[in-house]
Amino acid sequence: MNHVVGVGDMKTGCREDMIVTHALGSCLGLMVYDPAAQVGGLLHAMLPLSKINLQKASENPYMFVDTGVPELFRQLYDLGGQKSRMVIRAAGCGQPLGNSEMFKIGERNHTILKKLLWKNNILLEAEDVGGVASRTVYFDISTGQVIISSKGVKREL
Amino acid sequence: MNQKELNLILDDVKSFPSMPAAALKLLTLLKDENTSNTQIEQILRYEPGLTANILKLTNSAFFGLPKQIGSIRQAILMIGWKKLIQIVLASCVSAIIDKPVQGYDLSPGDLWRHSIAVSVASETLVKELKLSVSEEVFTAALLHDVGKMVLGRYVKEDIALIDGEELQDVPFEQVERSIFGIDHAEIGANILKRWSFPSSMISAVRWHHDPDGAPQTSHLIDVVHVADVLCLMSGIGVGREGLQYRPSPTACERIGLTEALLEKVASQTLQWANELAASLQTDS
Repeated sequence: MNHVVGVGDMKTGCREDMIVTHALGSCLGLMVYDPAAQVGGLLHAMLPLSKINLQKASENPYMFVDTGVPELFRQLYDLGGQKSRMVIRAAGCGQPLGNSEMFKIGERNHTILKKLLWKNNILLEAEDVGGVASRTVYFDISTGQVIISSKGVKREL
Repeated sequence: MNQKELNLILDDVKSFPSMPAAALKLLTLLKDENTSNTQIEQILRYEPGLTANILKLTNSAFFGLPKQIGSIRQAILMIGWKKLIQIVLASCVSAIIDKPVQGYDLSPGDLWRHSIAVSVASETLVKELKLSVSEEVFTAALLHDVGKMVLGRYVKEDIALIDGEELQDVPFEQVERSIFGIDHAEIGANILKRWSFPSSMISAVRWHHDPDGAPQTSHLIDVVHVADVLCLMSGIGVGREGLQYRPSPTACERIGLTEALLEKVASQTLQWANELAASLQTDS
């Protein structure tokens, strides 16, 4: 089955599923996979910290990195995933040209992700982050393969 | 830059679809504080398509009204005539821009969703920053990228040039200018001029990527500029060029924007934009 993940959204899948998310700008795309259980999930989080809008965060934890990432792991555990086997990859976190601190939402998303993973002793396997590119991610749960597409060019992550 | 191509682009602007007459009439009423509900009802009386759209939208989750609205008169009473005129314009604009845009690689509905999101983000910025910006901001934001509909096919033709290594750190509207002698913002402004839109709205469209370049800077331009970058970053209607634009720190300063506020506005925009876009899209 094909799942499409919107902005501020998360989907999990198993076996033959394919999870896709389009147009990652400064948002974080996080792909977590357990090859033994053959389960995986893709989070498309928009903003780093839920404290900016706690009401929204309680309605939709996937809008924020600090609430979305733990929720993604929790759901994978429910599907039989185990932390020790998880393979984690990240994409997105881009930013516009110039060096305006204010618009470094992508960098802030990335920083919060790193902090969360580090605190939980989890390593990032691979990432394709930063720059001005808009990225689309194809996450194949049957193989765990992640393909990133940008400007019509596809590459494996 | 090639003069022949520029002439072709300008010809396309001339043959671009026009705005329905009713929309233009309503637009002139938007600025007039003495506008009466009867005047608006009269204009809409002969526009059954528009009326149907208005009622559908007024009854959408976006407005969260306690009961179903069945007439224009009721709609004006519930949401106010200024909001109602914006809805009429949005409905007309959706018919024009709810199409795929080549070159920028936008799928059907992408530009429409982006435009609605920028409108919602602009209004939220005005509210959060307590700026005195006119009601025009919603419609100006809605139309800021209309020029992409014309320039798209030329962007596609010259994509190899645009993808050149040396242009990758250049803001995209400047890339367009260097290749075509014009950018999508100026083309959009030309379209609005042909539609006889108010000059403040033409300026907002013209300078939305270069708010400091405007002969007269304004909060209206600054707000649309910031809202546009924010929606691109959030991935709402972001095209092939991605985030290849440069936000202006001076524009942010002029409107008193902070990092926290920018993120708050982003968190508020998504849901409303989705609901508003969806309720109008079914009609187009």
